[in-house]
Amino acid sequence: MTRARWARFRSWWNATLRREQMESEMDAELRFHMETYSQELIRGGMPPQQAMRRASLEFGGAEKIKEECRDARGANFVESFLQDLRYGLRTLRKAPTFATIAILTLALGIGATTAMFSVVNAVLLRPLAYRQPDKLYLIREGISEMAQFYPSFPANAGGFLRWRSQCRSFEQIAIVEPVGRILTGAGESQEIHGGRGSANLLEVLGVQPRLGRTFLADEDRPGNDRVVILTDSFWRDHFHSDPSLIGRSITLDGESEVVVGILPPTFRFPKAAQLGPLTDFGPQLDFFKPLGLDPANFSLLGEFDYAAIARLKPGVSPQQALAELNIIQAQIARDSKEKVTLRAELWPLESQVVGPARRGLLLLLGGVAAMLLIVCANLASLLLARIPNRLRESAIRTALGASRSRLVRQMLTESILLSVLGGFLGIGVAYLSLHQLVRWGPVDLPRLDEVRLDARVLGFAFLLSMVTGIVFGTLPAWRVTRTEPHDALKSGALTATENRRTRRLRESLIGFEVAASTLLLIVAGLLSVSLFRLLAVDKGFSAERTLTVDVTLPRQSYPKPAQEQIFYDSVLRQVQQLPGVTHAGWINKLPFEGQEEVNAIQAQGMIDVMQAPIANYRFITPDYFQAAGIPLRQGRFTAESDASRHVALISQSVADKVWPGQNPVGQQFHQGGDDRPLTEVIGVVGDIRSVALDQPPLLMVYAQSGDVANDWSGWHASLVVRSASDPVALANALRGAVRSVDSSVPIVHLRQMTDVVTESVAVRRFQMSLVVLFALLALSLASIGIYGVLAYSVEQRRPELGLRRALGAQVSHLRWMILRQGMAPVAIGLVAGIATSLIAGTLISSLLFGVTASDPFTIAGVVFAVLAIALLACYLPARRTMNADPMAALRYE
Amino acid sequence: MDKPLDLLQGTLDMLILKAVSLGPLHGYGVLLRIQQISKDRLEIQQGSLYPALYRLQHQGWITSEWGESENNRKAKFYQLTAAGKRRLHAELQKWNQMTEVIAGILGTKPEEV
Repeated sequence: MTRARWARFRSWWNATLRREQMESEMDAELRFHMETYSQELIRGGMPPQQAMRRASLEFGGAEKIKEECRDARGANFVESFLQDLRYGLRTLRKAPTFATIAILTLALGIGATTAMFSVVNAVLLRPLAYRQPDKLYLIREGISEMAQFYPSFPANAGGFLRWRSQCRSFEQIAIVEPVGRILTGAGESQEIHGGRGSANLLEVLGVQPRLGRTFLADEDRPGNDRVVILTDSFWRDHFHSDPSLIGRSITLDGESEVVVGILPPTFRFPKAAQLGPLTDFGPQLDFFKPLGLDPANFSLLGEFDYAAIARLKPGVSPQQALAELNIIQAQIARDSKEKVTLRAELWPLESQVVGPARRGLLLLLGGVAAMLLIVCANLASLLLARIPNRLRESAIRTALGASRSRLVRQMLTESILLSVLGGFLGIGVAYLSLHQLVRWGPVDLPRLDEVRLDARVLGFAFLLSMVTGIVFGTLPAWRVTRTEPHDALKSGALTATENRRTRRLRESLIGFEVAASTLLLIVAGLLSVSLFRLLAVDKGFSAERTLTVDVTLPRQSYPKPAQEQIFYDSVLRQVQQLPGVTHAGWINKLPFEGQEEVNAIQAQGMIDVMQAPIANYRFITPDYFQAAGIPLRQGRFTAESDASRHVALISQSVADKVWPGQNPVGQQFHQGGDDRPLTEVIGVVGDIRSVALDQPPLLMVYAQSGDVANDWSGWHASLVVRSASDPVALANALRGAVRSVDSSVPIVHLRQMTDVVTESVAVRRFQMSLVVLFALLALSLASIGIYGVLAYSVEQRRPELGLRRALGAQVSHLRWMILRQGMAPVAIGLVAGIATSLIAGTLISSLLFGVTASDPFTIAGVVFAVLAIALLACYLPARRTMNADPMAALRYE
Repeated sequence: MDKPLDLLQGTLDMLILKAVSLGPLHGYGVLLRIQQISKDRLEIQQGSLYPALYRLQHQGWITSEWGESENNRKAKFYQLTAAGKRRLHAELQKWNQMTEVIAGILGTKPEEV
């Protein structure tokens, strides 16, 4: 603090806290002045009484001067604030209905905004719990020849070794792939998910274990890799956070693994979708293991299934790093002797994690902010309506010497008082609605589980309350102080009416409210239409009356595919016996559960394997298509007798792409390269949406499960069961069938196929429901606003209207006049809202499906809804006055 | 004697600082000194002196101390601080520049333009 500022502070402090001393000193000082002056006058020959009067006259109004002195030292600041506060509370008590409406709508607006902000705070603003996350990049690989089918792939282990030894742009590079294990010896046996990665993974991320250590460099080598690091939640749920677990062994897939570390509770690993297409991490990770692979076995173009995470060196730009990587990629392509063009891609990890959710969340935040603005506009309008009552009061205060700034301060104190009270309630609203949000929110929203009301959110709520109060308080305060006091005092209370300018202001506020509601409604309508279009999309299969059971076979009990097949067949036989079951069939991955077994279709005679289309391979038992309701287009389904032959069914789009204009049945192709046996196409089935409803169908190949499909690591599979009646009744019988074959096999999921479909649109449904909610709230707030303004204005014009009627005006004519007055700002707001939605439409186009932002039907629907609601809000006050007796209205004056 | 001049807006603070710079004064003394130096040609409303004094003290340009007046009464004496001295100096320079510029403009004859 500088000396001058310190002096000012001390002066203010003394003035405020040692007020009595300051007052008595001030008295003494002024008295001394006047007395000395009057003595002087007496010495000049003036009679004492006259001298005293003259002195005090020339001095000026002592009280006014004292007040100015207090102001000069800032002594009045706290004092007048407390005065304003007391006065504000008294005013609000005198208008309890107004205060209640104001506080409740504010609580709603501030609460909803705070709740949305805390979601944004957790998902978008709180950084990854990694060290310097902006330096972390995903490395993905691209193969130009396959770019038309797959723009990019996860990393390949062989490439990783080259990058690690040659690339100078990164501090370190780590790779990790998803693995599943069966945990035994800790309660019921169950499947757990983890990541198997290079020993430096945690070091690259910059994460320290909360207990124990990270992996050692030589634990990457095969034989040394029987160590695991557990995530905090897994340690808590399965080992009761027992710290003595460090150094002890747990049993995974029948092998014992030593626990060397526990990750901190804040640790999160990016989800599969965030690591890019074709990576397959589950939603929750339980453990990490070292790679444990012999580098000598890595091929230069092997399986592209590792997430590669690299930490950029300080001072190196991502462009430099990418250029260096691409040089290495070109060498790899040359050395592999394949005719491929390898590229590398660098994706910033942080924006990958929050990227997909960003737009949707910002939309929600924008929606809720628009609602809050409407709340503000409504309150400003209500306050403006109260101006006539306030004018006399403020005129008297002005006449008594209150300054204009003091009046503004007093009115602002009142509105801030309202908004802070609303804000307190709003925090309660936010707390309750967050609870619901987290409970009903889709699991796909990253880090939704971390949403909470922290200091930052509370600070935001407080600031928001203050700003809200200032926003809706400024306009009315400005109006009041702009009024000439003697005008208001001259006229009586009855005629101190709303003047034309105030009404114009209130009408523009209505226009704004209608515009904001229209915009919100159009967005809500577009999102709803998108969801309905999406759900109406032909999935290609039928989800009704279908149950699915996902199982994972313990690896140690089922080391050979033939043993798996025995399990699947036994369960199938039992299930087919169950009453009510019409069809049942196994598949290795359900629709909407992502891509798997991605491989080329090399038609017989095709020369360049790189030009071959890439398909998702599925392994099925014969009845699968009937169970899932996928129609047969050509040829036949598989039969038991096909188990020893190389046959497959293809989806329609495979037929169109590989054998256009030919009969695909009977054609032959290699599954992958031409080193694989030829497979014969025996039938064509309909296309299905395999990844998500909003993604076009992928190419699908369905092979008969059995020993022919020996490259399928078939530990995961799903049984699809079609029922003649309510499928839920079958659930227990299905569970029993799996148990009776092998009770050690964990059932991962047992759900209806319709739930699988519903889950795939959960994020959209969440966004849509919230925006619809905000839009409806906005519309009802706006209609209350319209009603309020018009009802008030009709009330004010009651004598005038009575006079007009007495002079012979038609009721219908007067009603039309009132309606026109009310609807004019609505029409302007409607046009403005539609215009804004057309301009802003491009921002939300990525959230839409099957509808454009300028969809005329949606806009027409919204226009109709807004007009209907606004007409109703105008008609009610219009009708009420018309029913009044003209004589009564005149007498009222 | 001419009719006394009204004080130019914003000059009272400067006059007070100047008066106090010549030696500690109480409020009434400030008034007397300004009138004495100006030979009664300035009209200052007596009361308006005090808010100005309080403002200057609040800024830390003057300090006050209770002492004994010429007629043996308790009175509050004001004194210039170091910051006040700098302030007065700055104000004087500004004032001189201002009067020079304005005098220059007002003294311009048609043929000089």
